[in-house]
Amino acid sequence: MLRFLTTVCLFAVATAGRAASPDADFEKTIRPLLAEKCWGCHNDKKQRGDLRLDSLAAMLAGGESGPAIVPGKPEQSLLITAIRHSEQLKMPPKEKLPVAEVAALTAWVKAGAVWPNAKPVAPPEAKPAAVRVFTPEEKAFWAFQPVTAAPPTDAKSANRIDSFLTAKRLDAGLPVAPPADKRTLIRRLTFDLTGLPPTPEEVESFEKDTSPGAWGTLIDRLLASSAYGEKWGRRWLDVARYADSNGMDENLAHGNAWRYRDYVIRSFNADKPFDRFIKEQIAGDLLPGGTPAERADALTGTGFLVVGPKMLAEDDPMKMRMDIIDEQLDTLGQAFLGLTIGCARCHDHKFDPITQVDYYSLAGMFYSTKSMQSYGVVARWHERPIGTADGVAKLAEYEKTRTAANDSVKKLEKQLRDAVKVRLEAERKRATEYGDAAREIARRGGSLKLVVADPAKDPVPGGIVVEAENYTRGNAQKLNDGYGAGIGVIINGGKLPNVAEYDLEVPAEGTYQIALRYAAESARPTVLSVGGKVLRKDAAGEVTGSWNPNGQRWFAEGVVKLSRGKTAIRLERTEPIPHFDKLALLPVSPDFAVAVPLRLDEVAAEKKLLPTALRAWVKLAGKWNDKLPAVPDLQTLADDTKGPFKMSPALDEEVEPTTANELRKAKEKLAAIERTKPVVDEVMAVEDEKSENLRVHLRGSHLTLGAEVPRRFPTILAGEKQSPVAEGSGRLELAEWVASKDNPLTARVMANRVWLGHFGTGLVRSPDNFGRLGERPTHPELLDYLAAELVKSGWSVKHLHRLIVSSASYRMGTRYDAGAFEADPDNRRYWHFNRRRLDAEELRDGMLAVAGLLDRTPGGTRLTTKNRAYVNSTGGRGFDAYSVPRRTVYLPVIRSGVYEVLQANDFPDPSTPAGMRQQTTIPAQALFQLNSKVADESSEAFAKALLEVKGDDAARVREAYRRTYARAATDAEVSRAMTYLADSDAGAEAKKLKAWQGFCRVLLASAEFAFVE
Amino acid sequence: MLSRRHMLQSAATGFGWLALQDLLAAAEPKAKPDPLAPKKPHFEPKAKRVIFLFMHGGPSHVDTFDYKPKLTADDGKPLPFPKPRVVSSATGNLLASPWKFKPYGQSGATVSEIFPKIATVVDDLCFIKSMHGSNSRHGGALLEMHTGSDTFIRPSMGSWVNYGLGSENRDLPGFVTICPSLSHGGVNNYSSAFLPAVYQGTPLGNAGVSSEKASVPFIAGTTPRDQQRREIDLLGEMDRERLAKLGPDPALEGRIESFEMAFRMQSAAPEVQDLSKETKETKALYGLDNPATANFGRQCLMARRFAEAGVRFVQCSHSYKWDQHGDLKKGHARNALEVDQPITGLLTDLKRRGLLKDTLVVWGGEFGRTPTAQGKDGRDHHPHAFTYFLAGGGVKPGMSYGTTDDYGFYAETDKVHFHDLHATMLHLLGLDHKKLTYRHAGRDFRLTDVHGDVVTGILA
Repeated sequence: MLRFLTTVCLFAVATAGRAASPDADFEKTIRPLLAEKCWGCHNDKKQRGDLRLDSLAAMLAGGESGPAIVPGKPEQSLLITAIRHSEQLKMPPKEKLPVAEVAALTAWVKAGAVWPNAKPVAPPEAKPAAVRVFTPEEKAFWAFQPVTAAPPTDAKSANRIDSFLTAKRLDAGLPVAPPADKRTLIRRLTFDLTGLPPTPEEVESFEKDTSPGAWGTLIDRLLASSAYGEKWGRRWLDVARYADSNGMDENLAHGNAWRYRDYVIRSFNADKPFDRFIKEQIAGDLLPGGTPAERADALTGTGFLVVGPKMLAEDDPMKMRMDIIDEQLDTLGQAFLGLTIGCARCHDHKFDPITQVDYYSLAGMFYSTKSMQSYGVVARWHERPIGTADGVAKLAEYEKTRTAANDSVKKLEKQLRDAVKVRLEAERKRATEYGDAAREIARRGGSLKLVVADPAKDPVPGGIVVEAENYTRGNAQKLNDGYGAGIGVIINGGKLPNVAEYDLEVPAEGTYQIALRYAAESARPTVLSVGGKVLRKDAAGEVTGSWNPNGQRWFAEGVVKLSRGKTAIRLERTEPIPHFDKLALLPVSPDFAVAVPLRLDEVAAEKKLLPTALRAWVKLAGKWNDKLPAVPDLQTLADDTKGPFKMSPALDEEVEPTTANELRKAKEKLAAIERTKPVVDEVMAVEDEKSENLRVHLRGSHLTLGAEVPRRFPTILAGEKQSPVAEGSGRLELAEWVASKDNPLTARVMANRVWLGHFGTGLVRSPDNFGRLGERPTHPELLDYLAAELVKSGWSVKHLHRLIVSSASYRMGTRYDAGAFEADPDNRRYWHFNRRRLDAEELRDGMLAVAGLLDRTPGGTRLTTKNRAYVNSTGGRGFDAYSVPRRTVYLPVIRSGVYEVLQANDFPDPSTPAGMRQQTTIPAQALFQLNSKVADESSEAFAKALLEVKGDDAARVREAYRRTYARAATDAEVSRAMTYLADSDAGAEAKKLKAWQGFCRVLLASAEFAFVE
Repeated sequence: MLSRRHMLQSAATGFGWLALQDLLAAAEPKAKPDPLAPKKPHFEPKAKRVIFLFMHGGPSHVDTFDYKPKLTADDGKPLPFPKPRVVSSATGNLLASPWKFKPYGQSGATVSEIFPKIATVVDDLCFIKSMHGSNSRHGGALLEMHTGSDTFIRPSMGSWVNYGLGSENRDLPGFVTICPSLSHGGVNNYSSAFLPAVYQGTPLGNAGVSSEKASVPFIAGTTPRDQQRREIDLLGEMDRERLAKLGPDPALEGRIESFEMAFRMQSAAPEVQDLSKETKETKALYGLDNPATANFGRQCLMARRFAEAGVRFVQCSHSYKWDQHGDLKKGHARNALEVDQPITGLLTDLKRRGLLKDTLVVWGGEFGRTPTAQGKDGRDHHPHAFTYFLAGGGVKPGMSYGTTDDYGFYAETDKVHFHDLHATMLHLLGLDHKKLTYRHAGRDFRLTDVHGDVVTGILA
């Protein structure tokens, strides 16, 4: 009732002030306008955006984006911002209303939105979030059902995987490919588990090992190799859209991202339980306990949340913040749950039972998490220190000291500001004094004139001219050539300050002009002292056009009274001096002395005026034509806060020299402290900040907010009855929930990723989408069996590898079968093993390995760009990180500028999660093999190594086959190679190497090398 | 992956393919459709290809083609209506254009004196004065202009076009971008994102390289051509032998063919880029005889040659020059000079060769510039109104579409968003932007997302 009354009153007040009848206004202007421009889409029959605009009630009720108007407040009215076309929502969409019509509607809203004969309407409250009721089909969707344990089986049967696959294959009446030979198997397993080719020795020893445990021994050896983490860590980095730079609009270096990369590799090598690995990446900063190293590792894991691409130059900070959260949610959903949560940002998910409320329930957790240090352009992502407790403590200590020093700077600054303010208030009362002084200075303006144009050529009686080089004391360098050619000058000799002091014999008491001849291409104002007193701080401050003799000019620097006898004239500058040629002391007449321009500093000192303020007054006085303005006008000028008495740091020194000096010292101290910042490793990481729930963003816009929603998990998975997060961001709870053995998605998604890594296709062929638009599992029982095994083994990923590669199915050959192909072209029943091409890293690493070049040094970064600096300009990459033969996983991944070798070979876009590599065939891959530096260098090194091999060319060809393919060459192959070599090699040594290099290039480019059987 | 048909076509070039054909005749798996084979558009296209002349940095519409007498009259006065809530930087009062405007041609299009050459061909142009976008920063605006999204990584329009239409020349990439910027989105401005990599743009050099040195990555190596031929012959023999042993496999077949294609591309691409055989008159037409215009002129001339060779989408970038926050007078005058002759030359040349009728030329930047002043002689980024012009392939020549308000601050009538421009470009190429979709991460994606209307008012 109260609200009702308020609304009525508002109308009354608003209408009272208007002359014309608001009803008439509405009928004459507003109604026709609405009818013509708005009602076409917002009427009783058609409601675009769920909005009607044909009654006041409808406008206040609003549509999808909330109420259309707030009577009396056009700035808060969506209708008004929309017709202005100044926000994202622009109406009418293709036609901006003319300025006059925008003004009319704005005025109408401002006046209270009077709608004749409308019933008063209470402004609506934000509608509570709608509760979505899930359909039975949605609830029954396979991926949301608990993992079912495989039915018990008779213990004698071999690997369960084989039984699942065989059953399906038999159902379809498909044959099965015979097992692959041992050489094929070791190459397959070595690439699959380590990303590297087996050495010929490894192949030979495996072939010789006929023991029943040979395969198991090989699996164990490869899983224990550090190369395993380099291969499988990289797979996870695909999913985690890892990169060493931000990409997007501002491509800044992620200087610390590599620590997350190394952490991932380490985690895989250590077979860190996968649930722990998940928790570290979502909430590692919040996990309790552990050694310092474990805590550092856990914190590093949260880099997962920070390493994504961000628009760092978004002008709307709130949009930026929500976009970053969206990216986090989207990645997290796909990576761990196989859910495209991001689709629910603007509306309920169109295909999966994820509601917009679910989205903002999760988003609230990340809104309560600090991922960024600032959202201003260019924004800064968050980083936190790791390392020893000692190091972190030192950094904290440093921060304390720095804050204290910074505080005292701030305190002094405030003190000075206050003092200056008080002084300026006092000075404002002296407007006439300032005006007078300023007028006088302006009148006697201009620069000091020389007594004669050239005192050296045109000597003044009683005057003295000395060569600058003839100083009595000083350290300036004398120079008779170059800058001093033909005249002799003094210049900076390296010792600062530059000093030149002259003892001169004044012939008679009198007034003298001091003149200097110098050359300067840029201003170098110098302190000029006479008899130990500073005459000018800015003498010789003109620019003459050049440092050379042709730039030399005379300038009058000042006028002094001198007594007869010895006097010292001193030139001093803390930085290099201008190139002085001569110095003159010239007597002047009393008339000349009076006409000398007034020096502002002197006048200010004499009259106790503030020089800075006086300077501003003089500027004004320049326009007065020597007439002092009337007193009230002067006072207006004086009272103007942006006028001559405006605040300025230059006043500090003039008002409170002692405090100003203290401030300078305090600033120096702060700078000195900042130079001592201890070097502590930092990682991209998050931490909790103020816990807040979010309101649903209608249509995904932060400008139109709906109901507030508690922080909790998606209801289709976690149910309606869950209790919302009470304390903290909720990330720890989220991590526990995602990594729970009862979460139906998490283990399945990971088991599927491991399977995909071995068989080339997932059991669910859309590894990042287990939703309705994703694929259904080809073998649901097998998927559940693997998921259950993952959990049962304590989330051991290596256990899954062992289980999978121990199966007979993994050891099938790739044999082609026309009938089977006809029936199952996509090999969904696994009737043979999928041939696959080496991925980008395997290809480069493999080429380097065969050539004997591969450097296996682990870890670290090759990025030379400073953290947060731009990695590339408009034109080029500012560094060369790729010329080393390190494993590819250790080369920087630059978003919007991926290394060409990776780009050509189906490396995924590092801006989005990618659970599966594409396998395209494009000419760039062939060009890479033919012309790239990698191919050149590895084939050359390989050729040189072969030429070292003892024996004839045929023996060398055989050795080349052995090293590339780990098999013996056939006689036909040897003779073909010999023919090629004979055609290419005319005998000369250089040509011989080129011919062999060509042969090696062919081997490394060949299908037999580039594909894994 | 390549189809059997393509392999047979290639076999005609004769590299000992007969044995392979016998093999394929025996048992051929149903090869997946060739992703680059020319595809039928949704309806009869007006344009077969696009040349996009990108003015990176954001040319000022009120100083080039959108003449605003009221802006001149009210120079120094405040903007009489509210500015947008979100701006890149604060701007001051209205700033008159320092240049004079005059109507030209039969269409009477008003053009600023900084484009004296383009002014002579306005009757071939279709100006859209009511362009607008969503983002006021270079990175976001570039991504939106190229991909339709200023928030996410999405396929570039050139990738969509190649996905929709396939390629007419298998010796050249279907989407070429000459001297693109590595910043403001970099590769993402011409990447295929989730579309298969065959559709990604092939960069020729980058913005830091003179167009003379712009080339396809890895196109040139150190191996002499005859030696390389021997290597490819040996490789082909080995790979075909392996294919014969393992049975048919489109991936293996594709790889064999890709080496031949790469070999051909090695001569085809440099041949298109070799301008030495162009006549002196043509070179002068593109401004190659003038150091100020030669760099962009070469880009434009290469664009014509790529278009002739059947490349679907060619982008030329006048890179990051137009960002005059200050020094507008000097900066815009210099920029205009650098592109005026080359663009006029390109349009003239396309027309006289009969190429303009099925080539869509698009000119524009990532946004316009504020009619209000930044400093004394500068303008800020302005996505709320700016001008594009189109020519050729199915657009009405000699017309102007849409208007801005009296000061050129907001687009006012017949507003055209980037989404609408994208929809229109696809339409001219015979593609329905609502039907050109790709399934990824759980939904069907479009270049225009859920937006975009074809601007029917400019269709010829």
